[in-house]
Amino acid sequence: MSSSPALIEARGLSKRYGSFLALDRADFVVQPGRIVGLIGPNGAGKTTALRAVLGLTTYDGGLRVLGREPFAERALLMQETSFIADVAVLPSWLRVQQAIDFVAGVHPRFRRERAAALLAKTDIGTRRRIGELSKGMRTMVHLALTMAIDARLLVLDEPTLGLDILARRGFYDALVNDYMDESRTIVITTHQVEEVENLLTDVLFIDKGRIVLDCPVEDIGARYAAVEVADDRLAAAREARPFHERRALGKTVLYFEGADREKLQALGEVGAPSVSDLFVAKLSAERAP
Amino acid sequence: MNDFVWLVRREFWENKAIWVLPACIGSLMVVAALFGKVEIAMPHAGGEQSEVAGVLFLTAIGGVFWAAMSIYSVWYLLDCLYADRKDRSVLFFKSMPLTDAATVLSKLCVGVVAIPLVYFCAADIAALLMAFVISVRARLAFGNVLWHAQLWLQVQALWLYVIATGVLWYSPVVGWLLLVSAWAKRAVILQALLPPLAVMLAERLFLGTHVSAIVLRDRLLGGTYASLHHPIHWSLANGEITPGVWQLPDPAGFFSSPDVWIGVLIGASFVAGAVQLRKRRTDT
Repeated sequence: MSSSPALIEARGLSKRYGSFLALDRADFVVQPGRIVGLIGPNGAGKTTALRAVLGLTTYDGGLRVLGREPFAERALLMQETSFIADVAVLPSWLRVQQAIDFVAGVHPRFRRERAAALLAKTDIGTRRRIGELSKGMRTMVHLALTMAIDARLLVLDEPTLGLDILARRGFYDALVNDYMDESRTIVITTHQVEEVENLLTDVLFIDKGRIVLDCPVEDIGARYAAVEVADDRLAAAREARPFHERRALGKTVLYFEGADREKLQALGEVGAPSVSDLFVAKLSAERAP
Repeated sequence: MNDFVWLVRREFWENKAIWVLPACIGSLMVVAALFGKVEIAMPHAGGEQSEVAGVLFLTAIGGVFWAAMSIYSVWYLLDCLYADRKDRSVLFFKSMPLTDAATVLSKLCVGVVAIPLVYFCAADIAALLMAFVISVRARLAFGNVLWHAQLWLQVQALWLYVIATGVLWYSPVVGWLLLVSAWAKRAVILQALLPPLAVMLAERLFLGTHVSAIVLRDRLLGGTYASLHHPIHWSLANGEITPGVWQLPDPAGFFSSPDVWIGVLIGASFVAGAVQLRKRRTDT
């Protein structure tokens, strides 16, 4: 891919909590200018991976973020990285104005006018306390603060968890329309794949602490195929070694990786799987005995 | 340096009690002076006796604020690295380009410098207002016993000395509170008390001695004992009040005491431990 240095480079990244291995020698690389979805079921190691990337936890193995060692250099890393870890982490005693003043005071890349302009689009008064705001409003305040930071890497960990559909849509619309450009890179974790799949340029599937798929979205169609197979050709189709099979509404969909297009076309209707379908197929295959 | 100022300001935003509590105590005192009885039996007010009254007055007010400040500081230090982990706002503060050392030091600084100074100022203002109210109400009959400029300055200096030496003397306690605050996942107060109690109990059970209990007792109760000449009532008993206030501090004895510096070392290592925990812990 691109020859520019990777923004995040993890080699054999591991993290153990007691006897539980949250990350098991995970390898992944995030290139600049991408929107990467780190997708996995609950407890797969998504948050642990992000905590390591953000310098919030110790880890084993190699990890470089913006050329830095995150745990040792978190404060420096945070000059060029922002994150929203989970919803509603702004302290309830803080006033909106105080939040702006504080970030403006300690963050060299924060642009106060931008935060004010973003907040002006909402009807959240700057005199109000975070504790008085609804969950959706808190998220918008946090997003406005974060988007006003001129960061190279933005990390979002389940940023819309527990928000209603309007607030979720508003969150991602603001992100895509007012924030994203080619100088920025976003890493999003979520287990609600459908919500972000149209945003992403790359997907990283993680399960049981291991990366099980690392693929640009535009390559999914070339690498993976979902074939709708009629019952009479099922036996023949299974010969072609699908990695997953799903039966729904009287049809069977078989999933293939790196298979010959022409052969597949003889079996049934060939399409590219959606990110969420691929996620389910990949994870079911990983977990199959 | 600028970051540090913002970190300290942030503590004042979060912990309004830092100034609300002393303001309330001071207001109550002034209200008491306004409406309480002022007929203190002191028929022959004047001379040295009036200075005794003045010292007693200022010491009583200072003592109330000192006690309140001690309790509040302990609570503040125990809570300061725990509260934001509990409400998860630590994740917001950790997204800022601030080192964990700066964060911990800002809280230490608020606990041992800012809070004592706020209480010191509050005690001064309360004392001035009370002296004024009492003087007016008593038609200066004995109000003048409360107005000795020299005595006031001496008592001020004495309090600042007691605060400064107190911070050094209690630094192991302060460090311990920060360490527990950075470490505990719940029940901070219990977790601050149990380890020292366990050590004392274990020593008693297995060794039959109680050295740790004595060390702890001397540390907790020995603050003014170490920094002032004792017995503390010496000058009062001798009726030499005016020189007495000056003669109370024993800086030479205090700063040459190994107990003080061993304590500071232990306190500093606890604070360093709190910084390391702060780097690693983000949840409760």
